[in-house]
Amino acid sequence: MRQSRRQFLATTSTGLAAILAAKTPPALGQAREISYLCWNNFAPASDKKLAEIGQKFTKDTGIKIRIDHIAAPQQAAKYASEVQTQAGHDLVEMRMHFPWLYEPQLVDVSDLVGEMEKQYGKTLSSATEAARVKGTWRAVPQYHHIFAPAYREDLFKKASLKVPDTWEDLYTVGKELKKMGNPVGIPISQNYDSISTAGPVLWAFGGMEVDKDGKTVKINSPAAAQMVEWYKKMYKDCMEPEVLSWTDASNNESLQQGKAGWIHNPVSAYIVARNMKLATADGINHHRTLAGPAGRHETDVPRTIGIWKFSKNVEPAKEWIRYLIGKKEVYDDYIMSGDAFNMPVYTNHQDHPVFKTDPKFANLKSEGVQYHIYGWPAPPSDKIQLITNSFILPNMIAKAVTGTSTKDAVAWADTEMKKIVAG
Amino acid sequence: MAIGNARIETAPYRPGLRDRFGEWLDRETILGPAFVTPALLLLVFLVAYPFGMAIYLSLSNAFIGRPSHLIGLQNFINLWQSDAFRQTFQNAFVFTGLAVAFKVVLGIWLALLLNEQLWFKRLIRGAVLLPWVIPTALSTLGWWWMFNSLYSVVNWTGINLGIMDPPGPNWLGQKYYAMAAVVAVNVWRGLPFFAITILAGLVAIPKELYEAAHTDGAGPVARFWYVTLPLLSPVLAIVILFSTIFTFSDFNIVFVLTHGGPINSTHLFATLARQVGLETGRLGEGAAISLYLFPVLVMVVYAQLRFVRKRAY
Repeated sequence: MRQSRRQFLATTSTGLAAILAAKTPPALGQAREISYLCWNNFAPASDKKLAEIGQKFTKDTGIKIRIDHIAAPQQAAKYASEVQTQAGHDLVEMRMHFPWLYEPQLVDVSDLVGEMEKQYGKTLSSATEAARVKGTWRAVPQYHHIFAPAYREDLFKKASLKVPDTWEDLYTVGKELKKMGNPVGIPISQNYDSISTAGPVLWAFGGMEVDKDGKTVKINSPAAAQMVEWYKKMYKDCMEPEVLSWTDASNNESLQQGKAGWIHNPVSAYIVARNMKLATADGINHHRTLAGPAGRHETDVPRTIGIWKFSKNVEPAKEWIRYLIGKKEVYDDYIMSGDAFNMPVYTNHQDHPVFKTDPKFANLKSEGVQYHIYGWPAPPSDKIQLITNSFILPNMIAKAVTGTSTKDAVAWADTEMKKIVAG
Repeated sequence: MAIGNARIETAPYRPGLRDRFGEWLDRETILGPAFVTPALLLLVFLVAYPFGMAIYLSLSNAFIGRPSHLIGLQNFINLWQSDAFRQTFQNAFVFTGLAVAFKVVLGIWLALLLNEQLWFKRLIRGAVLLPWVIPTALSTLGWWWMFNSLYSVVNWTGINLGIMDPPGPNWLGQKYYAMAAVVAVNVWRGLPFFAITILAGLVAIPKELYEAAHTDGAGPVARFWYVTLPLLSPVLAIVILFSTIFTFSDFNIVFVLTHGGPINSTHLFATLARQVGLETGRLGEGAAISLYLFPVLVMVVYAQLRFVRKRAY
């Protein structure tokens, strides 16, 4: 049908006016497209697999997905800018306590977590601590990285050393390791690996930074003093001063390069050594999390997925989470691609096939271990996070091992924590 | 033949649009603002607005993604109670003082050297700029490797030359060494800026002054003291002013090398502000940390610009 120029202009302008008035594009123009921002996984194969899954998702559901990656240190700044400008991605990958930090900006995803738990069992304790904010799930747990003791099994066998079961046992073998030129490598510096070890040691001795009410500072306790004393003797007899300058990567490197005989780290230290065919790879193994008088505790890093409230695509975003985590074959495939760096975070998955992909992963299951995020048992409110991010715990230890008395170091931490909690 | 006063009617002259636009632009009252407006808009949107926003945030209890309200100077008062902040305050002055002092002395020395007749002068002058050109985060990673406890080439060299006892200093794990390390990297990075700017000042000094001084019997030290230094002082004042501001607000070097450690002994305002404002979401406190030194820096700028004007007129 031929249309005059006037007819064409009249039709299109009426249509455009209607769209502008309704503020909703016509059904044909409504692109079902979502965007997902996540970190550059330390297991790169996992990111490749995620891209593959994204393509399959689009094919199966008709919803286009754009997956962007960002380096972990840039996440905080990027997320803050998205929240402040109320624009950006629909979904974001969240580390540890992020759901608490951005709580008012995140969609309630309790329905999704309910679906996952029905299928896979309860989420692990740490993922619940991280993503269930004041009774409401603000993000869906997807996987976690666990900290575990990694040691040079070959050196232990050579020196007939017993694999430690408690933190006190570690002191006994650590003395021998240092004499052999392969000291224990626990960082005591301003990095997160330092807190990831200091926390479990403190909990194992029965201590805590702040009580579960989030208000009462409890660091000044006999348990904390015991923990500091343990660190002091470890530093003196089992470690070298270099641990005071270490970054998150230093303990990995020390084990991989053949210096450290024992470290506390995610499984990445071994995976990198194995994949790069380093001479030390065959000699590295893992053992069960160490215990103390108050039990066997461990730090891990739960990773969750949240949906921004400003997203205009909440339902398609939920579809993506259902597809990635809720579809068992997809989730299994995704977990397997992470090479045991990304561990399943639901209880029924704790015997996942990923643990059988390498004999060195067998001890990572850690039965009877309680996983917690930083600051436990206090909820990770902004004050608790400020205590964590101010590195008060490792700085307390650093002060003690470099000459400050245990009493003064603990008192310093107590004062600093109280100021933050009161502020 | 009668001659009358008949007039020839012609159409009034109407200049074209282009001519009228040209005439319009010729007016100073139009052209001046037209040239200034783009720069003004840039300043308003990229400098004034963020600065105003930072002041507002520093006076509020702003937290990422939550409603906030003004709390006056509470953030500034609370910060002073924090041990980490007081340490940072001290670090900023030690770091800036040491780094700028070294850069001034070494910068003058390097500029004097580059002003001499050297083989491959242009190549050397270009090479001197390299630390300034390379992205700071990248070059600092190189320094981190050199100070790293496991691979330190600094210690390896020192031990092999017999000037260090094994295992050598724990560069990034001991507070004085760590401060020395971050200052050294800042000096290494900032030195080309000093050297090249001072060199430009040196080149502009008339040769006749040196000849006259030489005729009057002035030696090299006297010539430097009574000719070079006084004539360089306006350039030096500007370079020191810029460097003081940049050094106070340094971020990359400390973030990559020490993350503010050990025990907060190398934290600067920028690194602490990131830790509090972004990592922890306390935008108000973070902004207050960033702005804490603003009044001091304003006074430094005022004093130095006043000095430069006095010297110039």
